[in-house]
Amino acid sequence: MRKRVLALLLIILMVAPAIAGCSRSADQAEPPESSEIKKGGVLNDYLEDDPNGFDVQENTFLVMYTLARQLYSTLLRYKGDTLELEPELLAKMPEVSPDGRTYTFELKKGVKFHDGTTELVADDVKFTIERMLDPNGKGMSTWLFEPILGAKKFMEGKAASLEGFKKIDDYRFQIILEKPYAPFLNNLAVPAASIYSEKLVKAAGDNWRLNPIGTGPFRLKSYVPNTEIVLEKNPYYFEPGLPYLDCIHYRIVPDATTALMEFENGTLDVCIIPVNEYQRIKDSGKYEVLEGVALNTYYFLMNMSDPMWSDVRLRKAVAMAIDKEKLVQALYGPRGTVAKSFVTPGIPGAYEEGTGPAYDYNPEEAKKLVRELGNIGKLQAWQRGGDRLTDANVAIQAMLKEVGLDLEITIVEKAAFSDARNKGKIPANHGNWWADIPDPDNYLYTFFARTNQMSSGYNNKEIQDLLEKARAEVDPEKRKELYRKIEDTIVREDVAVIPLFHIKSLLATQKNVKGIIMHPTGINIYTYAYKEIQ
Amino acid sequence: MIDYIIRRLIFAVPVLLGVSLITFILLNVVPGDPAVEMLGKHADPDAVQKIRNQLGLNDPLYVQFGRFLWNACRGDLGRSFKTGQPVTKMILDTFPTTVKLALSSAFVAVAVGLTVGVISAVKQYSFFDHASMIVALAGISAPIFWVAVVAQLIFGLHLKWLPISGYSTPKHMILPAIVLGIRFAASIARYTRSTFLDVIRQDYIRTARAKGLAERAVIFVHALKNALIPVVTVIGMQISGLLTGSFLTETIFAIPGLGRLSIWALSNRDFPLVQGIVLFTAVIFVIGNLIVDISYAFLDPRVRLH
Repeated sequence: MRKRVLALLLIILMVAPAIAGCSRSADQAEPPESSEIKKGGVLNDYLEDDPNGFDVQENTFLVMYTLARQLYSTLLRYKGDTLELEPELLAKMPEVSPDGRTYTFELKKGVKFHDGTTELVADDVKFTIERMLDPNGKGMSTWLFEPILGAKKFMEGKAASLEGFKKIDDYRFQIILEKPYAPFLNNLAVPAASIYSEKLVKAAGDNWRLNPIGTGPFRLKSYVPNTEIVLEKNPYYFEPGLPYLDCIHYRIVPDATTALMEFENGTLDVCIIPVNEYQRIKDSGKYEVLEGVALNTYYFLMNMSDPMWSDVRLRKAVAMAIDKEKLVQALYGPRGTVAKSFVTPGIPGAYEEGTGPAYDYNPEEAKKLVRELGNIGKLQAWQRGGDRLTDANVAIQAMLKEVGLDLEITIVEKAAFSDARNKGKIPANHGNWWADIPDPDNYLYTFFARTNQMSSGYNNKEIQDLLEKARAEVDPEKRKELYRKIEDTIVREDVAVIPLFHIKSLLATQKNVKGIIMHPTGINIYTYAYKEIQ
Repeated sequence: MIDYIIRRLIFAVPVLLGVSLITFILLNVVPGDPAVEMLGKHADPDAVQKIRNQLGLNDPLYVQFGRFLWNACRGDLGRSFKTGQPVTKMILDTFPTTVKLALSSAFVAVAVGLTVGVISAVKQYSFFDHASMIVALAGISAPIFWVAVVAQLIFGLHLKWLPISGYSTPKHMILPAIVLGIRFAASIARYTRSTFLDVIRQDYIRTARAKGLAERAVIFVHALKNALIPVVTVIGMQISGLLTGSFLTETIFAIPGLGRLSIWALSNRDFPLVQGIVLFTAVIFVIGNLIVDISYAFLDPRVRLH
């Protein structure tokens, strides 16, 4: 008997990996057909990390942005899953002066915060902006409001209030910019620009970060650190009839495999599908699989100020040595598309999908350039610790080897990597950029302006002047022309960056979950989501 | 005995000081600025300086370390850079969960390890002995994340006997306790077997058998207690290790314990939290070792604590 038990245990251990590849076959039955389906229910979702607070001004992680979208509202938001802006807390779209510097806003009347009594007024908007820019505060997304007149002075503590904010009455106000900045309205739709109540924040003091009170479709019901966050329907939400869900129950599940198992077990309603499980989940037919466009570009960036990478022929050789089609197919299969431009297609002013200035795969030309360069020794690139980019880096390394380039990749711990990037000390790296706002400025200015924030070492003064000009240009056609010229130069002539591929967002839901909006900015919106309840 | 404990605790002070100093130096030597880490991809130099000033990172290093020590002596480990919460509170919030996991997995480890070890020794070279030692070897060698995923798949997803992850009910603790415990059970089993084999070959065991004692009495009364002394050291060290958190198990099973908090603190360059956790961990180890040493005296009257 003992021998049998032991043998059985051994068999279980041996067949376990095989079972791992199988999907659940038993339950998950389709709901019985009924004509009386109600919209509502509790959505069981998960977060990979605990935001450790709910103050979106002091936390810029995607987890926080996701929660902020449910808890708070912004002046403007994106319409459905498009990149078109629409008013959220505003009564109508703002009026912009012909010089592109003055924006006049009008708030919706009667918008209540979660307490049901405090009404949103123009002072709250001013308070929110000043709180973010406060030199003694913890605002981390100061970049959102920095274009406002007097922001710099205010941030340095040289002004008591923000010069560029003019209150007209309780519901109307103006924002005046230092100089025209075309993407400004997009900044106001970023979750970090969520509007707080001056009265409620001041009353809560230090407790605010754990007791958020917004105007969003859901309000915080309970929070157990590192375990779960429960949001409930906001009964005072300003859009009648919304949201449909009664509750969102977020569990903190850091491991992607565990989350997938919980999803297949039916204990989670939503799950981000790991790439290697995509086909199995889709083919099972048991779940809804949502595929969404996502504003991202995976790239290979070379530091032009680093002597090792300063020769444009070398950068061009690298660009032509990488077989992007093969790379993206191997890594992401149908989830990925080859990038022809650095600015993700779909963004206003960007190249359309399949077009762009990037070099095509041309190993012969690459070899020729490498021969011209002579002996250049070992090339260096970094990989940020914790990033799942090793497979891609190994493939890039092998492709470069094919044309005679020897690339060494060093994995550098996350914080050390950020520090070096801030100082412009990274020689080269394969990375990805997920846009904060759908504007070419968010890509090109961030990487190649004079500040060199991403360690590009870019030093083409003419293009850097054009970057300043383009962000101030308010005519969409002229902006588009400027960005085309800028991107063509950066990607084609200077080869400062090699766009590799873009990937889609994948989300699986249980069959009875409907109405989730997967926005291209990477945030899932639950305002219109519901579960079909019999 | 009391003198011994007091003396050991006094000796612990330089150990804890040394640990704190080394941690402090390491955190400051390793590249990576907490302010940059906090500001993320939009970090600009002015904002970085603003945050560094707020966090006191622009003070000289000896001032920062002195401040930490002074506050630590008063039981204040500072506030987390990232959350602003007191470090002591963050540690004490997660520690009970880790204790629960540690004790339940220690229970599994000791129960399974000792039983298998003793049976293997008594039935040396039997099928059970060979099979259990092979399984024990596999248990020690198998990576914990693999064992965890396999256990989740079989007992959670397919058989549906136990929850896949989480920790809200005692039932949630069973799977992680087994996964974590089995690994230690394997090493305890191998250790117990080897020490037990040494003991049962001693003259006093032969004498016990010669005077006609029942085999059960020989094993449990005479052999086990003596065989346990080295095993207790292993168990003691392992429990101390378990009490300081198991990052992988906690991550896979979504358990909010000290292990996950440590990694979170490290990857966010949350200096006060890292220092607080390291100091706390050192204290746990010092106390763990002390308990192991004291337990010797109970197991073996020949051992005197001086």
